[in-house]
Amino acid sequence: MAGKSGRTIQSVQKNSLKSTLLSWEGALAILFIALNIFNSIISPSYTVTNVLREMPKYLCEIFMLFPMAYILILGDIDISVGSIVCLSATMGCFVCNTGLPVGLSFLTCLAVGTLCGLLNGIILTTFTELPAMIVTLGTQIIFRGIAEITLGSGGSVSLKNTAGYNAIAGKVGIVPIVFFLVIIAAVIFTVILAKTTFGRKLYAIGSNRTAAHYAGINVQKCRLIVYTIMGLMAGLCGMFLTSALFGANTTTGQNFEMDVIAMAVFGGIATTGGKGNLIGGIISAFIIVLLRIALGQINLNSQLILVIIGALLIIAVLIPGISSSFKAKQKMKAVE
Amino acid sequence: MNSKTQKKSIWKTIGKSREASLVLVLIVLCVVVTIMNPTFMSIKNIGEIFRNNSLTMIMALGMLCVLLTGGIDISITSTLAFAGMTIGLLQKYDILHNTFLLFVIAMAIGIGCGVLNGIIISRGKVTPIICTMGFMYIWRGLAYVISNSSWASGADVAGYSDFGQSAGPYVILVVVYVIFFIMMKWTKFGRKIYAVGSNAEAARISGINVNNTLTAVYGIMGLLAGLAGALSVSVYASAQPNMQYGKEMDVIAACVIGGVSMSGGRGSVVGTFIGALIMAIIAKALPLIGIDSIAQNTIKGVIILVVVILNVVTQRMMDKQNLERRAM
Amino acid sequence: MKKKIITVMLAVAMTASLLAGCGSSSSTSTATADTAVAATSAAATEATSEATAAATSAGAAAATEATGGMDATGKTFAIVVKSAGNPYNEKEIEGFKAVIEAAGGTCISKEPEAATADAQVSVIQSLISQGVNSISIAANDENALQSALQDAMNAGIKVSCFDSKVNADSRQTFVNQAGTQEIGQALMDAVLDISGGSGQFAILSATSQATNQNAWIDAMKSLMESDSKYANLELVEVAYGDDEPQKSTDQTQALLTNYPDLKVICAPTTVGISAAAKVLQDQKSTVKLTGLGLPSEMAEYIGDDDAHSCPYMFLWNPIELGDLAAYTAIALVNGGITGATGEKFTAGDMGDYTLTDAGDNGSEIILGPPFEFNADNIADWKDVY
Repeated sequence: MAGKSGRTIQSVQKNSLKSTLLSWEGALAILFIALNIFNSIISPSYTVTNVLREMPKYLCEIFMLFPMAYILILGDIDISVGSIVCLSATMGCFVCNTGLPVGLSFLTCLAVGTLCGLLNGIILTTFTELPAMIVTLGTQIIFRGIAEITLGSGGSVSLKNTAGYNAIAGKVGIVPIVFFLVIIAAVIFTVILAKTTFGRKLYAIGSNRTAAHYAGINVQKCRLIVYTIMGLMAGLCGMFLTSALFGANTTTGQNFEMDVIAMAVFGGIATTGGKGNLIGGIISAFIIVLLRIALGQINLNSQLILVIIGALLIIAVLIPGISSSFKAKQKMKAVE
Repeated sequence: MNSKTQKKSIWKTIGKSREASLVLVLIVLCVVVTIMNPTFMSIKNIGEIFRNNSLTMIMALGMLCVLLTGGIDISITSTLAFAGMTIGLLQKYDILHNTFLLFVIAMAIGIGCGVLNGIIISRGKVTPIICTMGFMYIWRGLAYVISNSSWASGADVAGYSDFGQSAGPYVILVVVYVIFFIMMKWTKFGRKIYAVGSNAEAARISGINVNNTLTAVYGIMGLLAGLAGALSVSVYASAQPNMQYGKEMDVIAACVIGGVSMSGGRGSVVGTFIGALIMAIIAKALPLIGIDSIAQNTIKGVIILVVVILNVVTQRMMDKQNLERRAM
Repeated sequence: MKKKIITVMLAVAMTASLLAGCGSSSSTSTATADTAVAATSAAATEATSEATAAATSAGAAAATEATGGMDATGKTFAIVVKSAGNPYNEKEIEGFKAVIEAAGGTCISKEPEAATADAQVSVIQSLISQGVNSISIAANDENALQSALQDAMNAGIKVSCFDSKVNADSRQTFVNQAGTQEIGQALMDAVLDISGGSGQFAILSATSQATNQNAWIDAMKSLMESDSKYANLELVEVAYGDDEPQKSTDQTQALLTNYPDLKVICAPTTVGISAAAKVLQDQKSTVKLTGLGLPSEMAEYIGDDDAHSCPYMFLWNPIELGDLAAYTAIALVNGGITGATGEKFTAGDMGDYTLTDAGDNGSEIILGPPFEFNADNIADWKDVY
């Protein structure tokens, strides 16, 4: 899905691009602060304790934001992640219910997720002509389908022994363990993207795949790695979601892919590839989550919440476009 | 100029043989299903396939245009629900019962939604998937909000639903396909869509207003989604805010199976038709050949993936042949 | 370097704003939450230890006390339905709200954004934050809400479910629309009657994991095995229409094509039955239909003659189900009942109800037998719900 003309004139635009990006994150940070003030005004229940208690389910989704950001930066997409969550949670539950040690159940979640991601990666790198959208659409149906078959006619499995999963759903004080893990993952993924050659390779591939290939980057290897990591993180999400649901069913993780992509895009990561960084993505993820929590607390119609998020998303992606075309016009005038 | 015409003829032959390979898939599918359940090939059953899937088939045409420009539209079923819910409610509250007018209203709503998409995508330089994702939430949410948790049911749409049981859906299907076949093949507008999709920059330089073309394409998509909304209410005699939820992916899959390229510039009406038909037959045949309903989704996914990969493999073989021919 | 500074500043700003933004209001609302917890703590500890153990002891004593306890002034009651945009759920809310408001309480109605357990978990967590007194929920999954609902009970909130139950560990009691056995019996008898005593029939259900539907279908199957009067009936297939009109239509047509000798289709789901009714009526099929459906959706298809596809069907009154759920919630909050088997309470003008054993180590309250809708009474009911 890389830019079709295959020409993003990175060298010319770099400066202005950088400054817009920085200002975008600045704007997000201001929005984040404003949102918290707004939230605490509209909802009397918007307290640190309450917010942290409501958060784990959303935090599970944020695990997938990091690799999804990588995939978007590559100019690819993965819409099968929700189904991977479902499948890995299902398998994890079944393993746990056979009486095996709970560690093995965790491992199953991660392994199943990784395998699913690997499968996506193998198909995409073997048949490079195929758009990621359609392949992951196919696997989206298949992964959830396999979970449906495994779950059988009941369509739901519950943990017989919740002790192990209860442990990872635990809290340190009022802060859920998963919160710390998300922060750790955020740091690791941000550093890899910003500071390592691997991260730079991703940007290179995203802005021009052919050029990256000629520059000696093994494009397909990078894609394979990123899709596998995506699977791994989806498995991790499945594991923590199981700890919140004490089980899994056929609708587990439904629509997570859209939530995650929305968070990334709202954070300034372009689906055309090569643009954006994780700091924006992380702030925007928390903005969306906190907005959802606060609007939920004032009992706004759940569909209306979705309308608001949809509108915010469109406005967020419109702003850079409008400002850049405005700048272009000014430049034209200056030239004249 | 010379090279351009030559190139065009090569594309044409590829297009033809690609469709031929799709027809082969279609025939194999039909034969297998008929062997397992002879009633599959009955006139009644085929009629049902076309009626129940007329929505997907119609929207696939709009999606063809969108994909040709290198875009995507995942808001279509939300547009469908919003338009369908609106006309359902108009009947429920006895405001309007004229079938023709209701279709017009649904299509008008659809055009409005589509043009809005088009303007934001073309003028605002927003990536299509994100823009339509936003509207996917918005239109679906509004459909829920206006419905106020009620449905328009059989009794509410009594007269209107007769249309869905008459030859109406078939007529609409044929008319829309004929119009699109002519439009994409022989009109200037059709060629503009291909031009924008293969190389937007070149199209702009050669004097095509890319923004207007894009807006028109998304407008058409919206129009067809609105039409599908009106048909849906008529065929199923009910309007619910969650109708056709998630089916946009089926429409996209139908197009891609039919050989439409998701990066733009390549695809045909005939291919889209065959792709949509393959999807329709999968949906219809799986319960008929006695596959456990729990396993149906998995098999559907596998078939989609296999057909898409098959497309790539045949494409590779054809490219190879072409190269060899050229070498000679 | 510049980037680093900005990053650090961002991190500081984030934490600061989170603390500052929330700090202002936290003092007041935790205070109210505390008093709420204190007030109900006595009842809560008893309740969370759950039904079975304490069952019989509390029973008789509570009955007398509960009759006058239908005052809900100053309390907040939440109802969580399965999904948005469904008139059946809307009617449940309508009934629930009317009773709560008449008793002087505040009603919060929640429709999750999707019919999934995930979405309901978020809703429950949000309600805990708001410090409601009671949650009545129609569950999308029997077990998946356990963690969230136990959190709620630990916070002193009374949890009851209605329409579609959660497991015994996640609830205090269950308001059942009609006994599973009774519904199975009613549906089997209808199939027997309509088919004329013998022949093939099929079931068109909702999704494969729908708790209610699966329980009813299981009840029907076990009845067929245990009672010889159903010996000549053959259940050929259980099809799933996923509560989508299109898929239900496809599945109905497939049933008709696959089983030419089919006599009856039984659809225990509101979306499925209306889709099937339309298919049968449009095709002028000799196959007849019964099941569970909303009168307002089915009015078009119910009748005794050949022109109508459904001779009669069943349902309970979702408004009354909402009413009873509300009375139960009030009784739980006021301490009239604790959720133990054998307790009795008076549900306003609906009369007396007893908590019975639900067969899953928990208790249930049964609304009544399912109501039959036929050609004679459908006209009266189609405008009600």
